[in-house]
Amino acid sequence: MDSNGALVSRGMFGTWRAGRSDWRLQVLSIFSLSVAFVCLAAALLVVTNVEALRDRWSRAGRATVYLKDGAKEGEVAALMQALSQTGGVSRVRRVTSDEARREVVTNDEALAALPVEAFPGSLEVAFDDSIADEDLKTIALKLRALPAVETVETYERWTERLSSLLGGGVTAAACLALIVLAAVISVVGSTMRLLLQRRKIEVEVLRLVGATNGFVRRPFVLEGATQGALGALFAVMLLGLLFLIVRDRFDQQLANLLGITPSFLPWQVALGMVTLGGLLGAMTAFVSLRKLASV
Amino acid sequence: MAGSSAQSSFRHQALRAGHRYDPSAASRPILVFEDVYKSYRADQPVLRGMSLVIERGEFVFVTGPSGSGKSTLLRLIHRTEQVDDGRILFLGRDVARLPDSAVPALRRNVGVVFQDFRLVPSWSVFDNVAIALEVIGLPQRLVRTRVGEALERVGLAGRGADPARVLSGGEQQRVAVARAIVHEPALILADEPTGNLDPQLAIDVLGLFEDIHETGTTVLFATHDRSLLDVRPRRVVILDEGKATDVPQGLAESDAMLDDDEFEDIDIEAA
Ligand SMILES: Nc1ncnc2c1ncn2[C@@H]1O[C@H](COP(=O)(O)OP(=O)(O)O)[C@@H](O)[C@H]1O
Ligand SMILES: [Mg+2]
Repeated sequence: MDSNGALVSRGMFGTWRAGRSDWRLQVLSIFSLSVAFVCLAAALLVVTNVEALRDRWSRAGRATVYLKDGAKEGEVAALMQALSQTGGVSRVRRVTSDEARREVVTNDEALAALPVEAFPGSLEVAFDDSIADEDLKTIALKLRALPAVETVETYERWTERLSSLLGGGVTAAACLALIVLAAVISVVGSTMRLLLQRRKIEVEVLRLVGATNGFVRRPFVLEGATQGALGALFAVMLLGLLFLIVRDRFDQQLANLLGITPSFLPWQVALGMVTLGGLLGAMTAFVSLRKLASV
Repeated sequence: MAGSSAQSSFRHQALRAGHRYDPSAASRPILVFEDVYKSYRADQPVLRGMSLVIERGEFVFVTGPSGSGKSTLLRLIHRTEQVDDGRILFLGRDVARLPDSAVPALRRNVGVVFQDFRLVPSWSVFDNVAIALEVIGLPQRLVRTRVGEALERVGLAGRGADPARVLSGGEQQRVAVARAIVHEPALILADEPTGNLDPQLAIDVLGLFEDIHETGTTVLFATHDRSLLDVRPRRVVILDEGKATDVPQGLAESDAMLDDDEFEDIDIEAA
């Protein structure tokens, strides 16, 4: 474990030979940072997907028209006819009580015990993607006034709910970012303290021969940056792996139901996290070294 | 502006190691202590109005009872410690009033050797010496040739690749000497450099410093080993009661001043 174990080779950036035989300490630091970063990355992943879901649904352009139990076949047929001729409507599908029941009740006994009336018949209305929110609202309002119609679900509330969920996710991600900040500062800070202790003789010799503060600190700052960046990188990679496993289990029906397939963090976010890790690590190392080792 | 010009001069000097600090300073003493006071504890002053002048190219023994402040004196020159009062002029500049940022440059103009060698055990002999040039930012090619020369001067040619820890005490001290001279400083400070060596090795290492002195380097050699003072007639400065007393004619006259037995004892705390 001698000179080939050096983290920074001699002469590079004018640094001295630091980092040999300290790799355990470095690995430990990187691992601890990964744990913090993986939480942040996971929160960002959730935010990314909830946002995609909301975006999809906000322009989903569909509505469910729930029919009254006593609605007559003639009324329903006339309604379907009228709807399919309305501008902006692309498709109308009849879902009877029986169908609704079959769709929901597969092998759940508690649900199976419910009477057919518990599952109202409905019309699934699909709109063109281009339909304006205002037009959709007007149509829904008119439909609600009809005697055969119980209620109309435009999923606007779902979009709102997803938005509020998204807000929560963003808040959570912000909190986790603060925790990551604290983790980087404490982990890199204490690693620097330990490294400095181990390299006491080296640092003393450097002072002896007239090394400037910058020269003494440089390898530590580079190590701090490396630890931060690698911590974030491993977190992103680990999350990526978990994401692949989850996506494999994500069946087509669920995807159809939600209208989206799960997506991973955009590369800019992943790169940003690695950069952030590196910068934070370097800054923490610099500040720790300023406190612990000056002339 | 005196401070900043001292600083830039030191920087300049650092890049051209071994050159004169200031042309007009060539005729001036290299080191002047003027009424220097230093204490670590208020009730125990170490230096009490000490004054001393060392000329360029001199070889001076600094001696005195253990605890008399020999190490302190050297540390003040190197700015490892700060004076309480008085002035220390090195190459005409007041070391005590240098800004912190100029301290590295000061140290690049001085070579230091200690009793306990202060090598990095895990580094190679070469790396231990090269570091004194790398802090200056010398290109690797120059570092290689100059470290090779320095190792040759201390009799360790061919040992560059060995880890420092496998060397004997005498050899380790030679590495330390090589590190102190590789950047060709104007002044070498040696703080009991023979303290951890047996008598024959001590004489050898003293010989090494004398060789370095022959090339024109000023040497300040602190020791309480009286046998070394007898090897050759040299200027001897005795530190006692916080003052320096010059004994230019060698040790014969100074015997009277070294009356305490303590002086002969090996001092474990000497470093
Ligand atoms: N860092 C220190 N803190 C407190 N006291 C010190 C320190 N260094 C030296 N001393 C005291 O200062 C006095 C002079 O020490 P030193 O310069 O080491 O003497 P010498 O090298 O001649 O033996 C001694 O009494 C010693 O105990
Ligand atoms: Mg001493």
